[in-house]
Amino acid sequence: MNISKSWLEQYVPIHCNVETLCDKLTMAGIEVEAVDNAPRVPAGVVVAKILERNPHPGSDHLSVCQVFDGKEKVQIVCGAPNCDAGKTVPLATIGTVFKTPEGEFKIKKSKLRGVESFGMMCSGEELGLNNDNDGLMILDDSLEAGTPLDNVFPGECRIEVEVTPNRPDWLSHWGVARDVACLLNEEAKLPELNVPATEAAPADLVTVEDRELCPRYIGRLIRGVKVGESPEWLKERLTSVGLRPINNVVDITNFILMELGQPMHAFDADLLAGRRVIARRAKAGESIVTLDGSKLELNENHLVIADAEKPMALAGVMGGEFSGVTEKTVNILLESAVFNSSNIRATSRKLGISSDSSYRYERGVDYDMADYASDRAAQLIMELAGGEALSEKVEVSAGRPEEKVILCRFERIRSLIGFDCSNEEMVAIFRRLRLKVEEITEISCKVTAPLFRLDLEREADLAEEVARIHGLDKIPVLPVSATVVDSIRDDAYIQLENLRNELIGFGLDECMHYSMVSERSALSDSRFTRNDLIALDNPLSSELALMRPSLYGEMLGSVERNIARRNLNLRLFEVGRVFCGNAEMYPEERLECCIVLTGCRYPERYSGERDLAYDFFDLKGLLECWLEKRRVKTFSFKPAEDGRFAAGTAAAIEVNGKVIGCMGQVAPALTKGWRTTMPVWAAVIEVDPLFRAKTRNEQMTALSQYPAVSRDVAFLAPQELRHGDVVEFIRRSGLANLESVRIFDIFEDEKTLGKGVKSMAYGLTFRHAERTLRDDEVNNAVEKLRKKLTDDLHVTLR
Amino acid sequence: MNAIETKIRAALSEAEGKLAAAVDAAAVEQVRIELLGRNGLFPALSREMGSIPAEERRATGALFNTGRTQIEAWMEAAKERLNAGAAKQAAAALDVTLPGRRTGCGHKHPVSIITDECVAIFRRMGFIVAEGPEIETVYYNFDALNAPEDHPSRDPQDTFYFGDGRILRSQTSPVQVRVMESHQPPVRIVAPGRVFRRDTPDATHGMNFHQIEGLSIDKGVSMADLKSVLQRFATEMFGEKVKIRLRPHFFPFTEPSVEYDFSCVMCGGAGCPVCKHSGWIEIAGAGMVDPNVLKNVGYDPEIYSGYAFGMGLERLAMLRYRIGDLRYLYENDVRFLEQF
Repeated sequence: MNISKSWLEQYVPIHCNVETLCDKLTMAGIEVEAVDNAPRVPAGVVVAKILERNPHPGSDHLSVCQVFDGKEKVQIVCGAPNCDAGKTVPLATIGTVFKTPEGEFKIKKSKLRGVESFGMMCSGEELGLNNDNDGLMILDDSLEAGTPLDNVFPGECRIEVEVTPNRPDWLSHWGVARDVACLLNEEAKLPELNVPATEAAPADLVTVEDRELCPRYIGRLIRGVKVGESPEWLKERLTSVGLRPINNVVDITNFILMELGQPMHAFDADLLAGRRVIARRAKAGESIVTLDGSKLELNENHLVIADAEKPMALAGVMGGEFSGVTEKTVNILLESAVFNSSNIRATSRKLGISSDSSYRYERGVDYDMADYASDRAAQLIMELAGGEALSEKVEVSAGRPEEKVILCRFERIRSLIGFDCSNEEMVAIFRRLRLKVEEITEISCKVTAPLFRLDLEREADLAEEVARIHGLDKIPVLPVSATVVDSIRDDAYIQLENLRNELIGFGLDECMHYSMVSERSALSDSRFTRNDLIALDNPLSSELALMRPSLYGEMLGSVERNIARRNLNLRLFEVGRVFCGNAEMYPEERLECCIVLTGCRYPERYSGERDLAYDFFDLKGLLECWLEKRRVKTFSFKPAEDGRFAAGTAAAIEVNGKVIGCMGQVAPALTKGWRTTMPVWAAVIEVDPLFRAKTRNEQMTALSQYPAVSRDVAFLAPQELRHGDVVEFIRRSGLANLESVRIFDIFEDEKTLGKGVKSMAYGLTFRHAERTLRDDEVNNAVEKLRKKLTDDLHVTLR
Repeated sequence: MNAIETKIRAALSEAEGKLAAAVDAAAVEQVRIELLGRNGLFPALSREMGSIPAEERRATGALFNTGRTQIEAWMEAAKERLNAGAAKQAAAALDVTLPGRRTGCGHKHPVSIITDECVAIFRRMGFIVAEGPEIETVYYNFDALNAPEDHPSRDPQDTFYFGDGRILRSQTSPVQVRVMESHQPPVRIVAPGRVFRRDTPDATHGMNFHQIEGLSIDKGVSMADLKSVLQRFATEMFGEKVKIRLRPHFFPFTEPSVEYDFSCVMCGGAGCPVCKHSGWIEIAGAGMVDPNVLKNVGYDPEIYSGYAFGMGLERLAMLRYRIGDLRYLYENDVRFLEQF
């Protein structure tokens, strides 16, 4: 909201500068967002007296004047008809800079038709003070020559403040003035009114059919008004807060809104059928055309102000097009009312229209203000629009709401705000805020919240008032004292934090994607169909309409984007929540991890090494190290078929016998058109099973002090025989003292070995924990294995 | 001078020359074999020593010994000279400035770095991390937090809704409620996490961003405790010089409510474009938990009080790293990611 400082000063004296004022406002919760403190007239324009006026020798419409500028007599050539000697006028002295929409122009010494001129006398329009350009602006003769005009017409200081929704009482100058008075320890006052009614009001002027939606309605008739332009001061007030003057009556209602926060409405009484207003719910099928020309269909949820026949205004939101005050208006029905805030909010939102009036009604207006506001507006209309007759007020109300009485326990407030503020100080703060304080004892008092402070309901609200006015900067900063409440084992973040650190430790860069994705992105993880996805009701766009069921789609998007930008070597991962609407796949929300490797393994190296592309075993090795590091009890990789990955490249990742993810080369359909020739390797892994997975024994295994014995076994096997099966076979063969099995060679050559045959060579290591092994026992074991290999695995030993 | 002495002197002068000129270890070895080896000159002369007169034997013996020592010393010097040369040659063969075989450094996302740091700072102050779902009920996100029935933040303009009436949480505060419902006080938690607002993404707004929420409930907790924790956080996060300022504000779930600012981390409060020349940077909101919220979870506000605070993690990351546009954080260009 915009606050004009000079307007504010109508109600409370302000003896500090603007910076201090703004600081105090901000620190009291009225956050100042901007200050516009520009002068109104340019520096260099002063009050001057015309001493002489002579005709210009070379022109019949110019005059040559001798002018006193407060210091000396200067000669000014002037074209205005009214530059008579003895007049007090504004003078732009040499060096004055005018800013116009066309640019800046500077007053210089000049010659006009051969006569020198040392400045420029100005019209009101030239100075931007009014629209009068028929002659010089004539100033009050009592002004001393040389006075800067800026002092005579001080610039408006406009302060833009953010008003929090709990404080609608700040949506007016008077409301802010009340708090300023409290902050500056001054007294705020409203003008005294004297508004005698000159006639009785018609009996049926105001009817309120729904007092819940309209708890108070004050109407009065003003007859014989002359609608016209507002006086300068009123127009200035409105423009100073950004409102456009319209006509005196409308301007007065707007002025009251900005002054008191009470929305007013003036109807042309002669346009009201039956010359009366009825506050009632609209009937189904009724409609209204509002001031802004839009036709609104109404129903019984909307409160309208109707005449005897039809709705004339959407109560509290906007007047109707056909009942407003125009130049032709002579008789006015002036409304000052209180409407139900929730209803106004609902109406405004449903119909999509809002106004300064609805903005205030939605947040709640002061019940008590309606009466004063009506008087204030009536008085101004009588004064400024020359009303001839003023009727008595007609008030219909549901009765004044009860004021809230709040118990304030001083000690309780001190313990909540954490600093010392004496009982007396608290009472003084409440009183300065215009709250009634009674029953003051050593330990408590009773505070009555006025109706303009509906935000005050409980002790905690009073604590806020004390903290706010006493000053939050007075709250001490203490050494932090922490009670240890929970065990670090209960910390929900450690697992995720560790997991992320592990992956970064493997040289991966962490990515972050939005949780909302397009259908295409979501379904690029082929495990899901459209029915498995959770859709937003009100997405920002169709590209962001679905909750990601997997990290896969967006990760591939980032890979493609990087590749398009020629970042070809990527080691990426993301850990994040994914969402599924099909409980058979997974329940709603879970953590997932996605890893991608693509490009060169050692891009910074040279020659042949440079071109080594990541392959299946780079990603698998990384996963193996990761699982090893996580100490999961057992893990393995099994061949898999998975639509996300190219045929024959996919492996399911099993942890403790359960599949937790899959890896492979991203399916060609998904990388079509990418500007890379390198394969893209990816893994998608469910995270929760990793967090829960059984881990290996934490206790250490004793190291054998005795030497190991190695033996090799090599054989020819059919192409299909897998390494994993060989190792499994050897492990199950029950060889005594076998420590490890390692493959060291695989060799295929159709010419020497034959088609579909490969040679596999394994190194076996034997070791005993407590003694040195003898050759013969190792040889026996190997011999046993060789026999088993031939008999059971049907391979040909070499 | 007898014949032996003559031979020693001749051998010495010859050895000195040969060793000085030796270009490799083999040349040095050759000299050793010729002079000191089993069949070399010195062992031979030693055997002849008996043939010279007894009165000369003493002087000749001395010359024999110093001669042998001298040759050994020259050999040592020659070897050293040769080794130094070899090392130089070897150094020329290994270009240590060539790039190493890197397996990737790994970079944490800036939002994660900040999250981890925040969590570490608050853990030191006795908080532990709690979490809750991102798809939330209106109850936990709004009702239990005392948000009025017609509060604008509930509007589908601002909050994402699902067909079943649930929402994407618009704040991490529902975690507070969930924790309080399942724990008796004292409670001391932080909840970092993803939140969603229906804002069209631009340089400073995201529809999808992260917050960290703090909550401390106990007997006798005051605003001074809140301010102290926030000041400590500011100091740990941005350094000793950073001060905090509380300003009154309004939130439905706290009373009194404040917004808190840090003195500008760029200019130290003198005024700069980052703080819009105010010297302060608005960080987020906080306050004393509203008695209604405490009642909603079954805590007695007459016995317990507490504070809550929240802040945007992207905002902290942007401040720390001077990231000018929020969208960089979700674009995942590795040239960006690898800077952190």
